[in-house]
Amino acid sequence: MSASTLILLSYLLLAIFAIFFVLKSVKMARMPIHLRWELSPVPHEKGRGQYGGSYLETAEWWTKPREVDHVSEGLYMFKEILFLKALFEHKRSLWWFSFPFHFGMYLLIGAAALLLLGGIGTVSGFVSADLWLFSRGLPLLAGAGYALGILGAVGLFVTRLTEKGMANSTTRATYFNVLLLGAMFGTGIWAVLSLSDFTGQVLGFVGALFTADMSIQMAGILKAHFLLSFLFLAYLPFTQMMHFVAKYFTYHEIRWDDRPVEAGGKMEKELVELLGQSPTWAGAHVRADGKKTWVDIATDTGAQEAEK
Amino acid sequence: MSEKVSVKDIGRKELPMLSDIRPEELIPLPAPYDNPEDFPWIKEVSEEKKERVVCNLDGVIASALPHPESPEEEQKYVDLFVEGLKKLLSKENNWTFLQPLTLSLEYCIGCQTCADACHVFEATGGKEIYRPTYRSEVWRRLVNKYVKPGGKLLAPLKGADIDLNWTTITRLYELTYRCNLCRRCAQVCPVGVDNGLIAHELRKLFSQELGWAPTELHEKGTVLQLDVGSSTGMNPVVVKDNIEFIDEDITDETGIETVTPFDKEDADVLLIHNAGEMLAWPENPGAFSIILNAAGIDWTLSSEEVGYDGVNYGLFYDDVQLARVAVKHAQTAKKLNAKRIVMGECGHQHKAMVTIADRILVGDLAVRRESFLPLLEEIVFSGKIEFDPSKNDFPVTLHDPCNIVRNLGIVEPQRRILRYLCPQFREMTPHGVDNYCCGGGSGFAIMSGNNYEDWRNKVSGRVKFKQIIDAFADQPGPEVKKYLCAPCSNCKGQIRDMLNYYGALDKSGITYGGLVELIVNAMVDVKEPFIKWEMY
Repeated sequence: MSASTLILLSYLLLAIFAIFFVLKSVKMARMPIHLRWELSPVPHEKGRGQYGGSYLETAEWWTKPREVDHVSEGLYMFKEILFLKALFEHKRSLWWFSFPFHFGMYLLIGAAALLLLGGIGTVSGFVSADLWLFSRGLPLLAGAGYALGILGAVGLFVTRLTEKGMANSTTRATYFNVLLLGAMFGTGIWAVLSLSDFTGQVLGFVGALFTADMSIQMAGILKAHFLLSFLFLAYLPFTQMMHFVAKYFTYHEIRWDDRPVEAGGKMEKELVELLGQSPTWAGAHVRADGKKTWVDIATDTGAQEAEK
Repeated sequence: MSEKVSVKDIGRKELPMLSDIRPEELIPLPAPYDNPEDFPWIKEVSEEKKERVVCNLDGVIASALPHPESPEEEQKYVDLFVEGLKKLLSKENNWTFLQPLTLSLEYCIGCQTCADACHVFEATGGKEIYRPTYRSEVWRRLVNKYVKPGGKLLAPLKGADIDLNWTTITRLYELTYRCNLCRRCAQVCPVGVDNGLIAHELRKLFSQELGWAPTELHEKGTVLQLDVGSSTGMNPVVVKDNIEFIDEDITDETGIETVTPFDKEDADVLLIHNAGEMLAWPENPGAFSIILNAAGIDWTLSSEEVGYDGVNYGLFYDDVQLARVAVKHAQTAKKLNAKRIVMGECGHQHKAMVTIADRILVGDLAVRRESFLPLLEEIVFSGKIEFDPSKNDFPVTLHDPCNIVRNLGIVEPQRRILRYLCPQFREMTPHGVDNYCCGGGSGFAIMSGNNYEDWRNKVSGRVKFKQIIDAFADQPGPEVKKYLCAPCSNCKGQIRDMLNYYGALDKSGITYGGLVELIVNAMVDVKEPFIKWEMY
């Protein structure tokens, strides 16, 4: 593949990633408010989160100020995101592979940030590729990320194949996802180990992306690696691998959303609007006609006999 | 019979059953309950019955669904099911749970952490069809294939193909009643996927679109409650009569003049019991009356239809019925101008009214609502009532109702009371928000038709029963009387059935009851023991 094709493909794939990543994330964020569905423990419950308690343990709780402990909540999320605390506590056998898999990706995100900084810096002349941070730091960071990623991907692939429950619920698409990531990690570590000027080439490529320099020279393995990486990014928003975004909402907006409705508040206004929707459920007892709103239906408690 | 059940098997018509349950698969129980032959096995459904109703999942029937009369009728329900799948994912039909459901649909990574947390899966030694993700994966594949654009084309490519037919939907329907909706699985999910919610939403689909729901929950549950006033069938006159009888009995028994106020306007507290208590455990509302009167609480019950029965089975299967009952409860409080509604000892009533209904009861229907537990804690530690904890000097353990503890986060008030009033209080393992469901959650406790009660006693309640026996392992014999405190009507129903089934009063000296009974038993003014060592 020529450098120009790779660069043009990179623009396309990165654009797909950016557009659909934002669209998917916005879609998750803009879903209507739902009925309360919190689940203990809720770590922001001050003084109670440790054992799973909530403000509902207090008589006439509405007469007392609500104390929300953002530090405990942040600490909980920090441990969960960085160390996969829930998996460590509840499924240790999988954590041994899932943790390196995810931690490897965190290192690669760090390496990508460094790469971006270096690419912009070298193009604009503010930094030199000879800086230790780039010449040694980048291959070390990326190499560690790839190595951990490979360990995780192989472990997860084998576990999914061999553990009865996982095998039954794992589709071909999921195996493909793990293999794609494995290939990305594999080509990455190959490039780090085989290229003496790894840093120069990757910084050059990122610089070329900014300057649209189609004459850039790059090793085949690195081309394969960037292509796989960008293919992965473009594919990511359409897969369950977006769970890292979804997790924000499942935790903050579902499990931990214990906000009571305040009279006249924003939430109440939104709820009034939602209760004005007209459901079309066909069950006879619902007595929906496509015009009646949720309010009409919920306050229609008569004629229960009529539908029997 | 398919030994190794795959997700696709759910639609295989040629299998008479998708799976079966065998005694040797169940986890062992502690002595003296360790010989499976001492207890009858799950009754087999007769061939004659199978000819009349659907029985194609595991040989157990939760909801006796008649066979369709024609292929057209079969197809009608399959088509309705597909419509229901779409409606579950639409804002106007399911804004109530759209976000949690959609996220659970799209982002399960299949790690199976949930399976290890599920008491039904654990009890059966890991039966595939009871795996929390089995049901969810069936639903996920059906949505992907029959609802999403290009699904039929992509499903085989993704290796996620599944057939949709009468067998699929009837098995899936039955399978939604093999999950207690306790949400222990959701609690451990690293992503926050909620397989309990998926079972709940599927039940809603079947009820709200196809009109399918277990009789005990629908016709004899919410419909009866909205018609007559209570799922027990009690109308307002009967309720007032029953409470009057209870007051008389309690007065005779305790020597404390007990009068339960009804329909008092402007009261501080409108107490709403699960009306089942009045019939099955009358000592419970009686104990409430003694405590609230002794503490000088300004309180009342209501004789308004529905307003005297806190039950809301809509929580388990139908948002519409849930909302209708919740609205009636709020209207009752408004009519009496009560300052707050206090939930009695009923877990699902707590969840339905305290949290779920919070985003339904807006505007004029907004009324303050809370659990009885913080109120009891205030009373017990207020000094208004004199207690003698030595009257409760027997082993006591606590069952944590999922809907009060895991789902509402009310963990400590009941424990502070028990630690104070019960010198031999001990915890189960695990407990608090990590507790196991009693096995009767989400309506199972009142569902006893066909062989479903056998399944509850043998399977869904098995882990809890083991926990109960283990909690008293230091004094296992029947000579030491023990009390299992279960502050929830549904849990008590399940526990009563299990203790009876295993003969736990005779073999281990275990009886059960609520929290208020223990409080009254410890009152200095109550001269005779309030707790009777019998099986209620």
